[in-house]
Amino acid sequence: MQKRITLFCAFLLASVFAYGQNITVKGTVRDQKGETLPGVSVRVKDSDAGVATDANGAFSINTASNSTLIFSYIGFATKEQPVAGQTVLNVVLDESNKALSEVIVVGYGTQRKGDITGAVSVIGKKDLDQRPNTQIGNLIEGKTAGVQVVSPSGSPSATLSIKIRGTNSINAGSNPLYVIDGVPAQDTRSLNPADIETISVLKDASSAAIYGAQGANGVVLITTKRGTTAKPKVELSAYYGFASVRKKLDVLNADQYHQLATDLGYSTDWTKYTANNDWQDEIFRSGSSQNYQLAISGKNEGTSYYISGGYAKQLGVIESSEMARANFKVNLDQKVNNWLTVGTNVAYTRYNDVSITDDTNVNGGGVLLGALTTPPNIGIFNADGTYTANPFQQWENPLASLYGSTRPYKNQRLLGNAYGEIKFTPDLKFRSSLGIDYINAVSDYFLDPYLTSYGRQNNGIARNETNLTNYWISDNTLTYTKKLGKHNFNILGGFVAQKYRYENTYIQTTGFSGNTIPTTNAGSVIGSAYNNKSEKFNNSIIGRVNYDYAGKYLFTANFRADASSVFGPNTRWGYFPSFSAGWRLSEESFLKDVTVINDLKLRAGYGIVGNDQISTTNYYSYLGGVGSGANYIIGGNIQPGNYPSSIENRNLKWEETKQTNIGIDLTILNNRLTFSADAYIKDTKDLLQTYPVPRSTGFDFALKNIGTLRNKGLEFLVSSKNIVQKDFQWSTDFNISFNRNNVTALYGQQYFLNTIAGRSEASLVTEGKPLGVFYGYVYEGVDPQTGNALYLAKSGEKSSNPTADDRTIIGNPNPDFIYGLTNTFSYKDFSFTVFLQGSQGNDIFNATRIETEGMTGPQNQSTAVLRRWTTPGQNTDIPKASVNNTDNSRISTRFVENGSYLRVKTATLSYNLPKTIAAKLRLASIRFYATGENLFTFTKYSGFDPEVNAFTSGSSANTNGGFGIDYGTYPQTRNLIFGLNASF
Amino acid sequence: MTTKYIFRYALAASLAVSAASCKKSLDLQPISDATVNNSYNTASQAEAALAGAYNTFVSSDYYIWDNTYTSDVRSDNHYAGGDNPDFFQYDNLTLTATNSKVYGDWSNLYNGILKANTVIQRVPLITDPSLAADRKAQIVGEAKFLRAYHYFQLVKNWGGVPLVTVPVTTTDPADINTPRASVADVYNQIIADLTDAAGVLPDTYGDASVNKARATKGAANALLAKVYAQKPDRDYNKVLTYADAVISSPAGYALVSNYSDLFDDNHYNNSESILEAQFNGTTIGNWSPSLLLPPSITSTTWRKFITPSKNLANAFDSEGDVVRKNQTMLFEAAPWVDEYWSATVNGVVPFPYKQRNLVNGNSTSRQYMLRLGDIILLKAEALNALGRTGEAATEVNKIRTRAHLGNTPAATQSAMALAIEKERRLELAQEGQRWDDLVRYGRAETVMNALNETNLITGQKVNYNMTVQKELLPIPQTELNRNPALTQNPGY
Repeated sequence: MQKRITLFCAFLLASVFAYGQNITVKGTVRDQKGETLPGVSVRVKDSDAGVATDANGAFSINTASNSTLIFSYIGFATKEQPVAGQTVLNVVLDESNKALSEVIVVGYGTQRKGDITGAVSVIGKKDLDQRPNTQIGNLIEGKTAGVQVVSPSGSPSATLSIKIRGTNSINAGSNPLYVIDGVPAQDTRSLNPADIETISVLKDASSAAIYGAQGANGVVLITTKRGTTAKPKVELSAYYGFASVRKKLDVLNADQYHQLATDLGYSTDWTKYTANNDWQDEIFRSGSSQNYQLAISGKNEGTSYYISGGYAKQLGVIESSEMARANFKVNLDQKVNNWLTVGTNVAYTRYNDVSITDDTNVNGGGVLLGALTTPPNIGIFNADGTYTANPFQQWENPLASLYGSTRPYKNQRLLGNAYGEIKFTPDLKFRSSLGIDYINAVSDYFLDPYLTSYGRQNNGIARNETNLTNYWISDNTLTYTKKLGKHNFNILGGFVAQKYRYENTYIQTTGFSGNTIPTTNAGSVIGSAYNNKSEKFNNSIIGRVNYDYAGKYLFTANFRADASSVFGPNTRWGYFPSFSAGWRLSEESFLKDVTVINDLKLRAGYGIVGNDQISTTNYYSYLGGVGSGANYIIGGNIQPGNYPSSIENRNLKWEETKQTNIGIDLTILNNRLTFSADAYIKDTKDLLQTYPVPRSTGFDFALKNIGTLRNKGLEFLVSSKNIVQKDFQWSTDFNISFNRNNVTALYGQQYFLNTIAGRSEASLVTEGKPLGVFYGYVYEGVDPQTGNALYLAKSGEKSSNPTADDRTIIGNPNPDFIYGLTNTFSYKDFSFTVFLQGSQGNDIFNATRIETEGMTGPQNQSTAVLRRWTTPGQNTDIPKASVNNTDNSRISTRFVENGSYLRVKTATLSYNLPKTIAAKLRLASIRFYATGENLFTFTKYSGFDPEVNAFTSGSSANTNGGFGIDYGTYPQTRNLIFGLNASF
Repeated sequence: MTTKYIFRYALAASLAVSAASCKKSLDLQPISDATVNNSYNTASQAEAALAGAYNTFVSSDYYIWDNTYTSDVRSDNHYAGGDNPDFFQYDNLTLTATNSKVYGDWSNLYNGILKANTVIQRVPLITDPSLAADRKAQIVGEAKFLRAYHYFQLVKNWGGVPLVTVPVTTTDPADINTPRASVADVYNQIIADLTDAAGVLPDTYGDASVNKARATKGAANALLAKVYAQKPDRDYNKVLTYADAVISSPAGYALVSNYSDLFDDNHYNNSESILEAQFNGTTIGNWSPSLLLPPSITSTTWRKFITPSKNLANAFDSEGDVVRKNQTMLFEAAPWVDEYWSATVNGVVPFPYKQRNLVNGNSTSRQYMLRLGDIILLKAEALNALGRTGEAATEVNKIRTRAHLGNTPAATQSAMALAIEKERRLELAQEGQRWDDLVRYGRAETVMNALNETNLITGQKVNYNMTVQKELLPIPQTELNRNPALTQNPGY
C-alpha cells in the first residue's frame, strides 16, 4: 500500500523543545485488523507538543513519564492513553466511520476519502474479488458511475476501451490514462487483475489536472498488492470456466438456399452440393477459461514484499481463437534508515493470442458473416482437401479463414519502477522514481499455400511484424506538510520527464514451396519489408496545494505545465490549473448533533486538462513530412522516390477540456446508507483532428486543432447495508450515469465513418449532434407493385431511387443512461452476489442484417428473406432480391434496432470453509465459488448480442466516432466459472 | 543544520536538476521520415522527388486499372465483374457520387499533381552545384508533363476541376477549398505545361529503358495531339502538327511489325511505345492481372473483375480481325455464372488479355501511357476532319495492314470518321481510350443506347439510359463534403 508514502505524514508542531526529565515513548498505531496507520496525530494532553505516525504507523515522542497521549485520526475514534512510565506504547484505534477513513490513491499521493474534493471513484477488493476475469476493463464495467466500458467484441483478445464521462475527442484517443503503481501505461490487456489491490478512477478535471495534458479522458490509477502482515501470507486462487454463445441466428437450410439461388438466377449442377451444414455449428464451440495465481506476501522490520505468479488461458467460443497469459510480479519496499526508504514494483508478462477476422463480410474473410452467408450445401472440404467455396463466387467457407492460416501474436512486457524517498525533516519529503514500460510484440502470419485460393494464388504468404515500445518516466517530487492550529497544509511540487520510443519492422514474403516452414525466410519473393521508428518526449512541472480548516473546509489547487515534442514549438507548452473545494457540513455545529447524519459533504471543482494522444504516425506532423518508398524504375533500376506526406502545422497543440463538477456525499443511518451524486459539464476545445481536407490538395488529412465538444452528465451512487445481523447480511450498491454528448462546433466539417461494404458509411460526426449518430435513409417499406425498397425523399415522397441528399440521421448509439446494481447476501459462510448491468436508450446499427437480408448476390441469407417480395401486389416487409444492386438494402432505418439491454452480468455463489475446518487443513481461509456471467440478457436486439461495437478496435478515430455497429462481430459469451481462493 | 541534512539537500537538488534539464529533448526530429526542410536540397533529392512523382503511374489504382473501368467498362467494350456493387455502376451507367472508385481516382490524380507541383516549386530553388542547370530545367519539364497528364485525366472525366498548381502549406479553408475552374482554363493549363515541357525535354535520354520510362519531347507532343483533339474547341490543325512531330521525331518511333509483340511481355519499351509505366513484378508490381486473368493463369477460381463484352467480340468478328481479338481476349471456362456470357457455371467466358504476365500474384505487364498506334490513328482523324480523307485512309491502312486486314473501304468523310472510330476501338481496346473516343465523336449516347445486351440471369435487356450528362463522372460526394466551394456535375 502506498500508505507508507502517504502525504499525510506530519502534524509536528514547532515547539519540540521540551523541559525536564522526559522519556522517549515509541510505538506503532494499528487499526483493528492489525494494519498500521500512517499520519495518526499523537499529541500530549494539555500541551501543544505532538507528532504524527510515519508511513509504517510508528511514532516517537518526548514527553513526561506521567503524561497522557491523545491519538486521533479521521475516521477513527480518538483514544487517550496514559504513558505511565512505559517507553513502548502500541495502540489500536477503533474505526468510527470506515468509509471516510479509507485511504484513496490519488495522483501523486493518497488522500482520505473524507478529504476528497474532486470526483473520484474507487473499485476496491470487494468488487475485484467478485468477478473472476482476465481483463481489468471487465472488473470496472457497471461498478461505478460515470465509467462506460465499450467492449468491441467477445473475442478473448479484444481490448476493452473505457470511457470516463463520455467521449471527449473525435480523433485523438479517448481512453483514460492508466497509471500502474505510478507508471503511465496504455495497454492494460497484459495486466493481471489478480495482482490489483485497488483501482481509483479520477473523473473530474480537479482530480485529474495533476496529469495535465494526459488527463482529459480521466485517469485510472491502479495500485497493486503489497505485503501487510508480519506472518508470510500465501494465497492461491484458481478457476475454470466454460463459455458458450447466447444464441444462434436462423439462416436458410440447403433446400431453401437452393431455391433462393435459383430465384436469383444462379444455376449450377446442384447434385454436386448435397451437404447441409449450419456453419454456425462449425465455427462455434464450447469455450473455456482457466486461471491460476499464487502469491506470497509479508512485512517485517522495514521490509515488505509481495511476489506473485499467474497463468491464464482462454479458448474462445469461435474455433481457433485463444488467449494465454503468464505473469510474474515483485513488489518490494525497504526502509533503509529513518530518513530513506527505497522500493520497486516490477511485473513481467507474457501474453499470446490468436484472433479471428470479424467485423467484415464474407468477401473480406469475415468469420461470423462467413458462417451466416456461406451456403449450407457445399460441405467443408473439396475432394482434394482444399476448402470449399460458394458455387457462384470464390468466397470460401469460414473455416478457411479460421484454419487456412496461423496467426499467433506474442507480447512480452516488463513494467515497473524503482523509487527512493528521503525525509529531510518530518515535514519535508523528497521522492524520486524511475519507471519503465518495455513491450516487445510480435505478430506472425502464415497462409497455407494449398488450403485456400488466396494462398494458392500467392503460393503461401508469411508475415512477420515486430513492434517494440520503450518508455521511461522520471518523477521527482517534494512534499511539505504542515499543521498550524486548525490549519492543515499539504504542498507538492515536482518535475516529470517521459520518453516514448516506438520501433516497428515488417516483412511479407510469398512463393512458398510447401507448408513446412511458416516463417518469412522460406518465401521466395519479398513482397514488402519496412522499418519505422519514432519518438516522443514530455517534460512537465507539477504543483499542488491541499488546505483544510479543521477538516471542515477543504481546498485543493493543482497546477501542471506540460511540454511535448509532438507539438509545434510555438504551442509546445500547455498549462493546466484546477481548483476544488469541499465543505463538510456534518462537522458544523448546527449538524453535529443531528445523529442521523454521519457525514455530509458538498464538493465543487473546476479545472483544465489536456489530451495529447495522437497516433505514432503523427508524431512529427507539425513539421510537414516527406515520406519515402514512392519508387520508380528508370533504365531498369529502381530509383528511390519520395512524396509529401503531411501538411505542415506549426500551431498544432493539445486538446483542452474544461470541466466543472459539483457533488454531494451523504452518509446516514449509522453509516448504513451512503449516497453520492455528481453533476458535470465538460467542454473540449481545439479538438485534435485528422481533419479531412479536400483531396484536390493531394492530401487526405491534416492534423489540426479544430472544433468543440460538450459532455454533460449526472451520476448517482447509492450503497446500502439493508440487513446487518450476525449471521445474515444484505447489501445493495447501485449506480446510474447519464451522459449527453454533443459536437458543438465542427466548422462545417462532417466525418463519415465505418464503411459497410457497397453501402458507404454508417456513422456520422456532425455539428449539433452526439458523436457517432447513424446516418442513412428512412425506410418506408416495400413497394407492393415493384418489390423495391422505398425510402423517404426530402420532398416527403417515397422513392425507390433516393439521392444522397435524402439521407438523414437515423439513430443514436449513445445510451440515455447506463447502470449497475449489485446485491450481496451473506448467510454464515455462504455469500451470494448478483450483479445486474444495463444500458438504456442506445441504438444498434445491425449491418449484419444487410449481409443476411440484402439478397444482392449468391450469399446465404437469414430466414427473414423467406418473406421477400415475389409477386406484384404482395405486401411484405422484405424487398425483392436484386442481384449486384444495393438499392434494396441501403443503410436505412430498416437496420436500426433498439440496443437497450439489462443483463445478469454476474451471479456468484461462494462458500467460505469455516475457520475451524480450514485450520485443520492448515489453511487460514478457503473459499469456493461458482460464477455465471451474462446468464440472462433482456433485450429486443435481434443479433447475437447487444454489447457489440464493430470497428472500435484498432484506430482510435473510429472508437470515438462510431460505435454500436454490429457487422459480423465476435459475440459476447455466456460463461460459467468455478473457482477457489485459499490462503495459508 | 548538520552535514547529514546538507548531503540530503544536495542529493535532492541534483536529482531535480537532472530531471529539469530536458529542454533539448523536446526538439525531436523524425527518424524514419524526412521533412520538407531537409528533403529538397540536393541533386539526388531532386531526382527522388521526381521519381516519387512518376510513382503515381505504378502505385495508383487509376493508372493500374481504374482507367480501364472509366473507359472500357463504362463504354461498350467490357462488362464489370467481381463482387463489388460499386464497380457494376460503371458498367450499368448508374454511377453515384458515393462510388468509392470515383472518389479513389479523383484522389489518386490529385495526389500525383501534388507530387508534380512539389517538384515544380522546390527544384528550381535547389542550389546544389551538382545539379546542372539543364537537368534542373528538364526535371521541372518532366514534372510539368506529369501534371498535364493528370489534369488531362481529370478534365476528361469530370469537366472543369479545381486547378491547383502550388503545394498547400496551410490548412486554412480559404487556402484549400479551391473552387472548380472552367474546362477551358484546365485545358489552357495543360497546354501551357506541355508546351513548356516540349521546350526543355530531350527527344531521348539514351537507352530505350530510360526513354520510355521518362517524359520526352515526343511524349509531350503526343499528349498535346491528344489534348487538342479532346478539348471541346478542338483544333485539328494542331493535332496534325503535334502528331507529325511525334511520327517524325528523332526518337525514331515506329510501329512494331507484329501486333502481338505489343502485349507478349517480351517487348517492353519497344519502338512503338512513347511512354509506359515500368514494373519489375516484385517490389514494383502490377497487381491488376491477378484480378483479371483466367483461373488457368491466376489459379484462383473467384469471379474476375472485368469481362470483354459480346459487343466487342462481335466488333472484332465483323471485321474478321483475328489478330487483335486474340491479343485482347482469352476464352476459358469459368467456374462461376456470368450474366452475359453464361447463365450456368463452367461456361466459356472471355478474359482481358492485354496484360498477361503473372508470377506469385504479381505482374510485370504494363499499360501504354502513350503509344504510336494511337497517334497515327489520331493523325488520320485530324486529316479526315480537315477534309483530307484520302490521306487519312493511308494512315488507317498502316494500322490495318499490321492487323492483317485489308484496306479500309471507307471513302467519304463521314464513313471514314466511323471507320476511324471503329479502328481505334479494335486497336486500343482495354487501353483506356474508348469512352473518350465516343465522347469526342459525340456518339456516346447513340452507341450506348443502341446496345443490345441481355442479362441471361434476369432475361432482361439492359437499358443503359445514356445521357449527355453521363459523359462526365460525378464529383465524389466525399470531396463535396470536404470542399464546400465545389458544385456537382449536372445529373448527379
